Amino acid sequence: MNPLAQQQALQTRRQFFGRSAVGIGTAAYASLLGRDATASDESRTGGLPSLPHYAAKAKRVIYMFMNGAPTHTDLFDYKPLQQKMHGEPIPESYFKGKRFSTMTGDPTGKKVLAPVEPYRQYGESGAWVSDFMKHTGSVADDVCFIKSMHTEQVNHAPAATFFLTGSEMAGRPTMGAWLSYGLGNDTDNLPSFTVMTSVSKGTTCGQIFYDYYWGSGFLPSQFQGVKFRAGGDPVLYLSSPAGVTQPIRRGVLDDLAKLNELQYQEFADPEIQTRIAQYEMAYKMQTSVPELTDLSQEPQHVLDMYGPDVKERGTFAHNCLMARRLAERGVRFIQLMHAGWDQHGSITTELYNQTRDTDQPSAGLLRDLKQRGLLEDTLIIWGGEFGRTPFLQGDINNRPKWGRDHHPYAFTVWMAGGGIKPGMTYGASDDLGMNAVEDRVHVHDFQATILHLLGIDHEQLTFKHQGRRYRLTDVHGNVVRGVLA
Amino acid sequence: MTRIAPPLLLLLASYGTTNAAEIDFARDIRPILSDNCYHCHGPDEGTLEADLRLDTKDGLFRVVDDKAIVLPGKADDSELIRRVVTNDPDERMPPPDSNRSLTPKQIELLSQWVETGATWKGHWSFQPVVRPEVPAGQSPIDYFVRERLTREGLTPSPEASKERLIRRVTIDLTGLPPTLEEIDGFLVDDSPDAYERVVDRLLKSPHYGERMAWDWLDAARYADSNGFQGDRERTMWPWRDWVVRAFNTNLRYDQFTVWQLAGDLLPDATLEQKLATGFCRNHMINGEGGRIAEENRIEYIFDQMETMGTVWMGLTFQCCRCHDHKFDPIARREYYQLFAFFNQTPVNGGGGDPQTAPNLVFGSPEQEAERQRLHRETDEARAQVEKSDKTLLGESDGSRAVSETEIKRIRNILAKPLLDRNDEQLSELEKYGDKHAPEYAKLVRDFRVIRKKRDDQHRSLPRVMIMQDMDKPRKSFMLTKGLYNQPGEEVNAETPKIFPPLPSDAPKNRLALAKWLVDPSHPLAARVTVNRYWQMFLGTGFVKTTDDFGSQGERPSHPELLEWLASDLVQGGWDVKRLHKTIVMSATYRQTAKASPTSSADDPENRRLSRGPRFRMSSWMLRDQALAMSGLLVGKLGGRPVNPYQPADVWSEATFGKKKYQQGKGEDLYRRSLYSFWRRIVGPTMFFDESKRQTCSVKLGRTNTPLHALTTMNDVTYVEAARALAQRVMRSSDQDPICIEKAFRLATSRRPTEVESGILLARLEQLKSQYAAAPEQAKQFLAVGDSTRDADLDAIEHAAFTGLCALMLNLDEALTK
Repeated sequence: MNPLAQQQALQTRRQFFGRSAVGIGTAAYASLLGRDATASDESRTGGLPSLPHYAAKAKRVIYMFMNGAPTHTDLFDYKPLQQKMHGEPIPESYFKGKRFSTMTGDPTGKKVLAPVEPYRQYGESGAWVSDFMKHTGSVADDVCFIKSMHTEQVNHAPAATFFLTGSEMAGRPTMGAWLSYGLGNDTDNLPSFTVMTSVSKGTTCGQIFYDYYWGSGFLPSQFQGVKFRAGGDPVLYLSSPAGVTQPIRRGVLDDLAKLNELQYQEFADPEIQTRIAQYEMAYKMQTSVPELTDLSQEPQHVLDMYGPDVKERGTFAHNCLMARRLAERGVRFIQLMHAGWDQHGSITTELYNQTRDTDQPSAGLLRDLKQRGLLEDTLIIWGGEFGRTPFLQGDINNRPKWGRDHHPYAFTVWMAGGGIKPGMTYGASDDLGMNAVEDRVHVHDFQATILHLLGIDHEQLTFKHQGRRYRLTDVHGNVVRGVLA
Repeated sequence: MTRIAPPLLLLLASYGTTNAAEIDFARDIRPILSDNCYHCHGPDEGTLEADLRLDTKDGLFRVVDDKAIVLPGKADDSELIRRVVTNDPDERMPPPDSNRSLTPKQIELLSQWVETGATWKGHWSFQPVVRPEVPAGQSPIDYFVRERLTREGLTPSPEASKERLIRRVTIDLTGLPPTLEEIDGFLVDDSPDAYERVVDRLLKSPHYGERMAWDWLDAARYADSNGFQGDRERTMWPWRDWVVRAFNTNLRYDQFTVWQLAGDLLPDATLEQKLATGFCRNHMINGEGGRIAEENRIEYIFDQMETMGTVWMGLTFQCCRCHDHKFDPIARREYYQLFAFFNQTPVNGGGGDPQTAPNLVFGSPEQEAERQRLHRETDEARAQVEKSDKTLLGESDGSRAVSETEIKRIRNILAKPLLDRNDEQLSELEKYGDKHAPEYAKLVRDFRVIRKKRDDQHRSLPRVMIMQDMDKPRKSFMLTKGLYNQPGEEVNAETPKIFPPLPSDAPKNRLALAKWLVDPSHPLAARVTVNRYWQMFLGTGFVKTTDDFGSQGERPSHPELLEWLASDLVQGGWDVKRLHKTIVMSATYRQTAKASPTSSADDPENRRLSRGPRFRMSSWMLRDQALAMSGLLVGKLGGRPVNPYQPADVWSEATFGKKKYQQGKGEDLYRRSLYSFWRRIVGPTMFFDESKRQTCSVKLGRTNTPLHALTTMNDVTYVEAARALAQRVMRSSDQDPICIEKAFRLATSRRPTEVESGILLARLEQLKSQYAAAPEQAKQFLAVGDSTRDADLDAIEHAAFTGLCALMLNLDEALTK
């Protein structure tokens, strides 16, 4: 490109920033500007020219967000002392000066609760994993457990918002939106940021998923996550109306493009060109999404990896398989949100539903990606918005109602794949799982690390809004080097 | 760090600069300082470094250790310049680890500014509005716009064609397209005031208020549910109807302001004035279990005053919850002083009641009649019981065996006035009567039944949450980090020092605050308002950052024009219709949107206004337009929100089955978008690029994505509208070209060219043969939507025409105003 043309192209890009389709990652953009030569990936459309800042280890992310807060000491963070002290009051030294949820109030006298299922060690790494999570245990050698997570929020919605946007208040862009904005799209017939939700069967404590959990905040709205739905059209308004066949639609669109082109000749408004391309992309989605959601070509042994619910839309198992299919097709950020982990009084009951519906599918997803060579450049994350108290909520003599309250001071998430060191545990909580004590990882550190794996310096991906440069990690965050491969 | 290619940089630097040699502090220098220095050397005392402020005149020209920060005329002797050019990383400013850096051009500008005398000015938007001179007989808008065009060697565009002009102005003023009769009337009217008469007609249309209300509802974060877990339904829609009426009756904007912020405090406040304060109560309500009431209450007040800040002052206050503003002269203390004005209502923040008092019962005329009837009947029934009270014991006396204690109990009950007897006691009387005095028992029963009816009806009436201050003022404190449970120093209600003070005799309450905002001496309200309306009509505000008039906001593209319009708004009596008329009557607004290759390349956003506005309509207008052109629109004004077409499971999926969408029937499907029920946690799916209605929003979203195309091609609303439009034109003629022309005109307001007609006609033929080959598909296509079709129309023909109309509804031109 000659300098003048380059300058004009850049200027057009600037125009799209304010007005329209910047980095939308569509055919529109490609047709207008040509593929972005400054991007590291030849096939990418949109995104910021300066990104990635350095070579990315992961090209895409599958984030299994476990909403409701999974109980870390029942699943992954093995504490033999809990067993020994079962039923004894929690020593004050563990909670002095700390604030707990209004349900717990002052933890004085609260009784230590032992994990309800036994733990065993898995693989060469020897990771301790509870029998609740046998399938996850079986892939422990590919996983990095971070056991020293901590957060600042004790209520679900603010805490989930904190994880997904870096702020507890709704209104900031979510991680997926930041990545779509910064890195553009690697596919030209699917959105770069997709979301699916589910809840365990028989679980009663599901928290609502607000659509700002995948919102674009103050970034332009084309960066918001596109929700793949459990019923009806997988994407809203995807299907042509009854009686409109593909040839009919094609013909109408061809003429629509012709007529819009005439408009462009008259008005020279580049927005018209973008619109022509967006209609074309919409048409492509009408073909690509049904192909994406058609599982008929999946062999039985693959389906079996995800467990018995895999064919049922709206289940976590189905969403996990869909996540793999989206990843294969180049979707950047796949956010699976599963509700029901809020075991205030159902550790001995509904926790079994939760693990039954999620353990096998998440392990199956990891294995499936690995056998296809996709795990190398796909980052998988499993985790909730905080942990649960190592002490009991409820009556020690009423086992069916045992529960645990919200707990922000220590909890576990795991990561695997693109750029993550496999088969390790990072950080540690104290001997009762009350407080993260070793190599503590704050939510902003966790976010900085994810961006790092995608080739982004978290301090450099910013957007000016209301006079201030905002970023995902606010003004905090350090990359957790210890988990990097 | 992102570097922009040098040629572009030069281009940007010269953008809007009249003469590179003439440096204007406000335009050229303060933005550089604000963006790069204020973070550590600005108003925030908490993060002030080296005790050095660069946001004030004193700070900038101070002498520290014999070194002048800025020495006018001597760049080399100015510490500011030395620090930005030095290569010593320990001295370099901004510090290398700050992620901020100056471009060579910015450094050059700073040096030039110092060399040429370093003149200083206060931030433009905080200065009083001064009305600039305009030569007599000139439209001020066109005068100032052309002045800049001429200065930059550009020429304005000619007026748009009449068809496009009437479409633009009709959509802008009513949110609906012009009818064919309106277009034809305008086309044949050659009189010089033809356009003005169109404008006057539109300003009188009841749909004007509906159109203006939408943007106000975005700013007011209006919704029909609370938000958060539970997301209970609220009844704020009478407030929404008040907004429509206020625009239609052209309530002065200063009163519009005072009523909404403090109508309850006006002397002898009317129902409407109280209702208007619903504005302040449109915030979200968090009814989650385990939430602390006081924490909620504080959040609500933050929201109320930050909304005021954005809407009337164009300032972002949120950061002051925790610290002094980083860029603008608003201290944390001043934030909490403003907070104190709103901190006086009895709302305690507890629970998720979407009708939390103070509220206003707001029934329809029928409900009011019913209420009065029930009251009357209750009173009558009560009188009947009271009259018969003395007969109860008298009648039963001695005739049957009655225990003394029972009689004593009954006597005690009867000794109380009827209204003081509780339900249990009335029940006892009733039981006693059943045994001993059946007629009396019936009277009591009737009374209880009618009274329950009355109370139930009372509870079912919509209640609009409004404002009301407590008699005893609540104390206000500076909250550390904005946390409800960490009060610091106590503060009293007061306005920020940077602005003119409240009148010394004014009580420190919301009413004084509201009046202060719209006092002619206040520098912001008129500017911010005019700017928002400019954005509405021209696509971008003079200040593009409509929500930020502070030092980090954009500087106005046409400062004198903004000043003129702001001063004219105030001098003209805050007459909003007059302002709107002034804008749409200007030649600037009436220009064609056709861009010459140079103007498109040089000014893609049309900030210099060398051509007319051309933008995709808001999604809510697109829906209204489809309904209007197809003839399906039900133009009824106001009332309870309705549930138009929406995929059935959207609500239930988002709420795990707790909320189920009950799609409306009949008229409810065809009301204007303004009346669609807005569930806060999952907004109406047929709208895109709209505010989320969670917090105040004054910016317009205008993106362009495939999801929008899917909506307007596949949503039942649009498919049904295409079918009705097809029917409408087919009934008017049996000649395809005539039908096509009519549909095309309804969609775009103009006649198709020959080329366009040719393409459409050929497509129609193709569709006819496609549907002729598959009549079953034609039937299915025609069955989309609840409205019935004219069965006399041939199904194949009708389906083919529907397909063609769907195409026309999706023309770029049909989506564009």
